[in-house]
Amino acid sequence: MKPQLWLWLSLRLVSFLLVGLVLGLWIDRPFEGIAIVLAVVLARELWRLHGLQRWLLDGAGEPSPDGSGIWGDVLSLVARLQRRKQYHKHRLLRLLRELRRSTAAIPDGVVLLNPQAEILWFNRMAARLLQLRPRSDVGLRIENLVRQPAFVSYLHSGKYDKPVVVRAGAGGELYLNAQVVPYGAGQILLLVRDVTAQQRLEAMRKDFVANASHELRSPLTVIAGYLETLSQDMELDPQLAGPIREMRRQSSRMTAIIEDLLALSRLESDDQPAVGEPIAIAPLLEQLRRDVLARAGQQLDVQVQVEGASRLRGDPAQVHSAFSNLVDNAAKYTPAGGAITLRWREDAEGGHFSVRDTGIGIAAEHLPRLTERFYRVDPGRSRATGGSGLGLAIVKHVMQRHGGSLRIESEEGHGSTFSCHFPAERLVAGPQPEAPAARTGAHAGAAAAL
Amino acid sequence: MDAADLTHHTSRRFNEDLERVRSKVLAMGGLVEQQLIGALNALTEGDSRLGESIARNDHKVNGMEVAIDEECSRILATRAPAAGDLRMIVATIKTITDLERIGDECEKIAHIAARLAEEERPPEHYRSVKHLGRIAQEMLHETLDAFARLDAELAVRTARSDRFVDEEYEAIQRQCITYMMEDPRYIRRALDLMWVVRALERVGDHSKNVCEYVVYMVHGKDIRHTSLEAVEQELLGHAARG
Repeated sequence: MKPQLWLWLSLRLVSFLLVGLVLGLWIDRPFEGIAIVLAVVLARELWRLHGLQRWLLDGAGEPSPDGSGIWGDVLSLVARLQRRKQYHKHRLLRLLRELRRSTAAIPDGVVLLNPQAEILWFNRMAARLLQLRPRSDVGLRIENLVRQPAFVSYLHSGKYDKPVVVRAGAGGELYLNAQVVPYGAGQILLLVRDVTAQQRLEAMRKDFVANASHELRSPLTVIAGYLETLSQDMELDPQLAGPIREMRRQSSRMTAIIEDLLALSRLESDDQPAVGEPIAIAPLLEQLRRDVLARAGQQLDVQVQVEGASRLRGDPAQVHSAFSNLVDNAAKYTPAGGAITLRWREDAEGGHFSVRDTGIGIAAEHLPRLTERFYRVDPGRSRATGGSGLGLAIVKHVMQRHGGSLRIESEEGHGSTFSCHFPAERLVAGPQPEAPAARTGAHAGAAAAL
Repeated sequence: MDAADLTHHTSRRFNEDLERVRSKVLAMGGLVEQQLIGALNALTEGDSRLGESIARNDHKVNGMEVAIDEECSRILATRAPAAGDLRMIVATIKTITDLERIGDECEKIAHIAARLAEEERPPEHYRSVKHLGRIAQEMLHETLDAFARLDAELAVRTARSDRFVDEEYEAIQRQCITYMMEDPRYIRRALDLMWVVRALERVGDHSKNVCEYVVYMVHGKDIRHTSLEAVEQELLGHAARG
């Protein structure tokens, strides 16, 4: 704002007044003269104000009305404001366009959903992977277009910490990894990735392991059979007795490994959660105690503690194999005179089975990798005990299929505790039936129910 | 003011009800589709366990049909829908019946797949059945897409593709007869296979029915209060142009 403009304005006003006064004196009516001149000045100013208003109404575009004096200054100020606003608007628009363009170019599929899971926006990749139609599919519910039961239940579950794998494409030939990310006020971001290649590879690996194990079983049966005949042959050179005994031991170990591999691949191929059959806990643990005492070579103190009367809903064979794997492990690594405690307890979170031993324990750095296949804490030591190296992997898979988890605590030199945690919905309240053996009891119950 | 607010709320709740029913129908469709894919995989891979589990799953489809049926009756009774909404409810009730039947056909295929898995697989590894299954399954998928998008044009196109299913069905039928004449030991297996292709052919027919309901639902204004022949007319009109 320039101050001299106002000075100029007042000077002009004064000079107009003087002119009016002179004119008035000349016709002998000074006030009328001043009034006429003032009226002319006022009319002129009002006319310019009108011009300004019209210009603003028309959108303040070019050309601006005549701009001299104070009006001109106001005009230029308005124009400057306008320009600045235009500039910011363009910048924002450009930014927005860039953003859209970059999200559209992301190699993963991105879909924005509102709280009702209606589609707000999606990028090109999402359109390709999920077969969405640009524009016309906006506003439709995503679950109406991606209808796989796995995806629909995932979307409604509210638990989005893990992605879900859905099959897409007309023939279901695509495997997509879909992850929901909630943001803002109930808004949902859906990320979709093509994992067909990984899935194929995984399937190939599983098939290979299953087929290879299966193929290895038959020759091994023949070898084991002949070795057994040879070991009973009285006419054989007594020098061979030792090697044959060793060969028999190794072949039975190999059989055990193959059996475990097959068990694992069966567990892996079935990704449905295990269907339930109530299993009585106390008889099962008693049976495990008897089995381990019969198998263990050394003197052991095996205790069973059962707190709670619920039964566990699960696959009896799998639960038995998981529990007995843990008990066998404990027995293997506990020296003579040691103690093993099998404990079952229940609380609000669910059921917990734990095996505590006073054995040699495991160093902390091995704990995270313990459930990997064929992982050995100490290669020499564990192979001598005759394990397949798959026991804990089986336990882990069984627990996964039962919606539970395996936890391991250990201190080197003092012993380990392996615990299986089952969710509360797997517990069935009620008295445990008076069955002598848990597994036969559970099977009989199931047979009767069927 | 209050009254207007109230009607606004009622109509919004009503819309939500309708949307929910639609989503449930499509969820049911998704399950049926998965059953079909699973049953076909069980057959072609010779996986008896998969076949059995698919057959066991059919009760879920039936349960969904009952639930949606109940919801539709409730909406009819409490909301007394009119015009487009009424058409949607009517079409929904019809659609779920057809979807449930498709589910039954899948169960049939799964049972036969479980039985055939025990036997030696034919030298051509069910190639032609796989092809027919693929067509039927794509048809079901597109039908559900048309239902979700209320796309009458897609519905008409899909309904027309039923004749590919029929052609394929007849071709396999002839093939099976040839096999049976060549080798009488094959008769039992061929008969089982005939049941499978028959079921697939029925899947195509049921999908076609659903497509017709979609056309009825969308173009209701033109063909309201008229019989199903009008829908056929509509279908034929499109067919002639296409």
